[in-house]
Amino acid sequence: MKSCLVVDDSPVIRKVARRILEDLKFSISEAEDGKEALEQCRVSMPDAVLLDWNMPVMDGISFLVALRKEQGGDRPIVIFCTTENDIDHITRAITAGANEYIMKPFDRDIIESKFHEVGLL
Amino acid sequence: MDELLGEFLTETQESLERLDVELVRFESEPNDPELLNNIFRLVHTVKGTCGFLGLDRLAKLTHAAESLMSRYRDGMTVSADGVSAILASLDRMNEILQGLERDQQEPAGSDDDLIVRLLALAEAAAPQGAREAVRDLEDQETLADMAMVRAGDEAIRGRRVSEPEEAEARLPDDLQAAGLEYLVAEEMVSEPIASEEAQGTDAPGREAAQSIRVKVDTLEHLMTTVSELVLARNQLLDIDRRKQDTEWKAPLHRLSGITNELQRGIMKARMLPIDRAWQKLPRMLRDLSVELGKSIELTTSGGETELDRQVLEFIRDPMTHLIRNAADHGIGTPARRRALGKSETGHIDLKAYAEGDHIVIEIGDDGRGLDTDRIKAKCIEKELLSETEIGQLGESEIHQFIFQPGFSTAAEVTDISGRGVGLDVVRANIEVIGGTVDLKSSSGQGTVFRLRIPLTLAIAAALIVETDGTRFAVPQHNVSEVVRAKRETDCRIEMINDAPQLRLRGRLLPVYDLGGLLHLPEDEAVPRGRLLGEMATVIVMEAGVRRYGLLVETVLRPEEIVVKPKASVLQDLTMFSGNTILGDGSVIMIIDPAALAALAGVSEIRADFSQREAETQEAREPEEAPVPLLLFKAGGSVRKAVPLALVARLEEIPGKEIEVCNEGDVIRYRDGLMPLLFMDGVTRQAGDALQPILVFDDEGRHVGLAIDEIIDVVEAPLSLEIRSVTPGLIGSLLVDGEVTELIDISYYIGEGLTQRLAAREAEAAKTARLLLVDDSQFFRNMLAPLLTAHGYSVTLAESAHEALEMKEEGTRFDLIISDLEMPGLDGFAFAQEAKKDPRWSETPLIALSSYSSPELIARSRAAGFIEYVGKFDRQKLMAALKAVLPQWGAAA
Repeated sequence: MKSCLVVDDSPVIRKVARRILEDLKFSISEAEDGKEALEQCRVSMPDAVLLDWNMPVMDGISFLVALRKEQGGDRPIVIFCTTENDIDHITRAITAGANEYIMKPFDRDIIESKFHEVGLL
Repeated sequence: MDELLGEFLTETQESLERLDVELVRFESEPNDPELLNNIFRLVHTVKGTCGFLGLDRLAKLTHAAESLMSRYRDGMTVSADGVSAILASLDRMNEILQGLERDQQEPAGSDDDLIVRLLALAEAAAPQGAREAVRDLEDQETLADMAMVRAGDEAIRGRRVSEPEEAEARLPDDLQAAGLEYLVAEEMVSEPIASEEAQGTDAPGREAAQSIRVKVDTLEHLMTTVSELVLARNQLLDIDRRKQDTEWKAPLHRLSGITNELQRGIMKARMLPIDRAWQKLPRMLRDLSVELGKSIELTTSGGETELDRQVLEFIRDPMTHLIRNAADHGIGTPARRRALGKSETGHIDLKAYAEGDHIVIEIGDDGRGLDTDRIKAKCIEKELLSETEIGQLGESEIHQFIFQPGFSTAAEVTDISGRGVGLDVVRANIEVIGGTVDLKSSSGQGTVFRLRIPLTLAIAAALIVETDGTRFAVPQHNVSEVVRAKRETDCRIEMINDAPQLRLRGRLLPVYDLGGLLHLPEDEAVPRGRLLGEMATVIVMEAGVRRYGLLVETVLRPEEIVVKPKASVLQDLTMFSGNTILGDGSVIMIIDPAALAALAGVSEIRADFSQREAETQEAREPEEAPVPLLLFKAGGSVRKAVPLALVARLEEIPGKEIEVCNEGDVIRYRDGLMPLLFMDGVTRQAGDALQPILVFDDEGRHVGLAIDEIIDVVEAPLSLEIRSVTPGLIGSLLVDGEVTELIDISYYIGEGLTQRLAAREAEAAKTARLLLVDDSQFFRNMLAPLLTAHGYSVTLAESAHEALEMKEEGTRFDLIISDLEMPGLDGFAFAQEAKKDPRWSETPLIALSSYSSPELIARSRAAGFIEYVGKFDRQKLMAALKAVLPQWGAAA
């Protein structure tokens, strides 16, 4: 079973993501900001990270940059979630080390297809 | 999705509350990038979450708000208008959330007004465009939400069309038009801050991560279950109490301990920090200060103090009301404050701290303080008090009147606090949960309201009492003490104007019989009247400013009770606040002390007399220390007064019980006779009409003073205006502005008695003169006082010879009592000698003898005695005297 860390400051969104991903046979862990996510990654690197952009304490981009500097931090496939769809943003996310991005709001189909694309499914 | 929706609601409501606070801070600190970022993120998160739940209205509204926020992040000057618009959209979001909670879907409606306002503000540089947007809207009133947003966007475009060069020059505007304006800004600001935060600076308002959300219902259910457990435990303990040394004693006590622990744990889980109820306040005050044109600063401390969430809900409104009140009435306009030499900005200080089982919340302002004169005027206008009554009240007592229903002293009723919801409601709401409100105000310095709130409502300490065969729980926080009132002691029950009053440490407190108030069927074993008899158990209750005594049969024990709400069928019984189950399984009602006081009609002011605080006394001139005075009428139109401390008792007895003896009036009083003095001009009551009597106690001697009517007990300083020269009066003083004569008790209990003794001597001329002839000193000593006491004037002779000498001297008597057995001339010979002399021949003779035989009686009759009485038979002697001297009979 592959593991996925859902990082979002909204419990609602974490719950939505958890439901979809558990359905897709992922084991889920959650973090409510980038700092917490990073701490969890240091303990155990997940196979995938579904990452929100805007979060308190440490936002998505900062987390991503920090994660990739960690030992083994290059392994997790990071999928950025954003409400923003301009090229600038997407470019920034990819540059920082994201493997893919999806738009919020997402649903099961969107997640499933994106996860397929990056080879998680 | 229901579960998700529920979570969304909780989460979003919390976010909005936080936004309220942060935005108000933001307005005063517009240059704090961290704050701005926080606000932005909160709005953004709400927006993001809405998308998942298909909440279009919310999504659009948050989007528009976010647009404006992003302009601020761009560096646009923050305007009060802008903040107001965002705050207004937060309010709208709250409305939508409420609808969502109610109907599981967004309520129908349009937010175009706000969206246009927000977008127009976001484009504040282009007022023209905003106007166009409005016009657009007017043209197409039925536009769908989406179209509206577009209208806003088009308004922006419209401006750009009119100013093409500028539009070209500012590329980001295009992004804005596409609704993406915030992206750029975000990148500009978020990164440095994020890295700063990553270094460990905790953003304010963050809660500990190690927590889960539990539904309130789940907690409530747990609480109920634990309550049941507590009851079951109590039942076991109750059984255990009656058994000796059972093997389950130890495990039972362990169970008991664990149960307590569990109970505490659940209670703790129900606790919330009080600042949860404070979050909306900065926002409210901001709006208020804008509306009122005042500058107000709120400082809080002790926000982390925890209390039960149920209690929190109860105090939210009263607290809000008091703050509004402080802002509206307490704090003056900047101009006024400046004129008074204060800083222009008014301060409201909100404090919370724990005090035993209670939380104290203080709401203080540095405003003008209560206007005592205006409250007085209002009291008179509303006929709550007469001018004279007001005169006897201290300032802090006058202040208490602002808690009266419909009492507003604001010269003009403003939108803020003069809305008919008065401080009476505040107090009522606080009292409902067993809390108290008091206030301290000093003119020009400000006012502090102090709320004292129980930590929880679920479990309370109570006294279990029994009266008329029924048990009740009395909340212990309302019990100030339990006293045994006993006759003849300093703590006793007295009747004033037919109402029982507890005299306790020199003060009087109205007493109500619990059984009587509740119309309980009287317990035959203990008739109600007897509760007021020799010994009475009185619980001294404090409910807000009301203080009264509650008469019960027995106080059984204190107990921690689990409060259960009243069943709905009992809702109308206001005197009970709920019920509880005792250890033995019986269900008993919990008394609501405030409601009971209202039922009994406890006058709040009267209660205040008894509990006047020491500090107000200290505040007065020392020589004017008020003392409780009993006001009464006794002949004449001028009221009389006597210091209450001098009065031992107040009695009312039917006129027919006043007896007249030759020394004056007496009444039967405690197995004896008590002299009764009538003050000049006092009407004598006859038959069943009651004569009020003040009983004075002078070293065990009781003297009654009959008066016409008891008026009241008041506290007033004993400052004499005029010293009196009239005996029996000390002088005149002003009580409530009315002339009152202070009577001189020493005159009545001292002089009065002396006078009566003198009168008795004068009367003696008219009393029957007896000659007692007896050789035994013992008998002379025994009989003489007895005869004197019965009103006879007694002359003694040791022998018949001595008596006959008196005859020769010409002394005359109304009656002669002579012993028969005497040395020398005996009784028979004496009688014969007396009868021979015409001066004494008509004087009746009564024979006394130690012996009694028909022969002796016959001999005495022959000698001239008309009666024969055994020496030890006092009653017969008295009867014989009465028979022989009927004209003096009344004297006995």
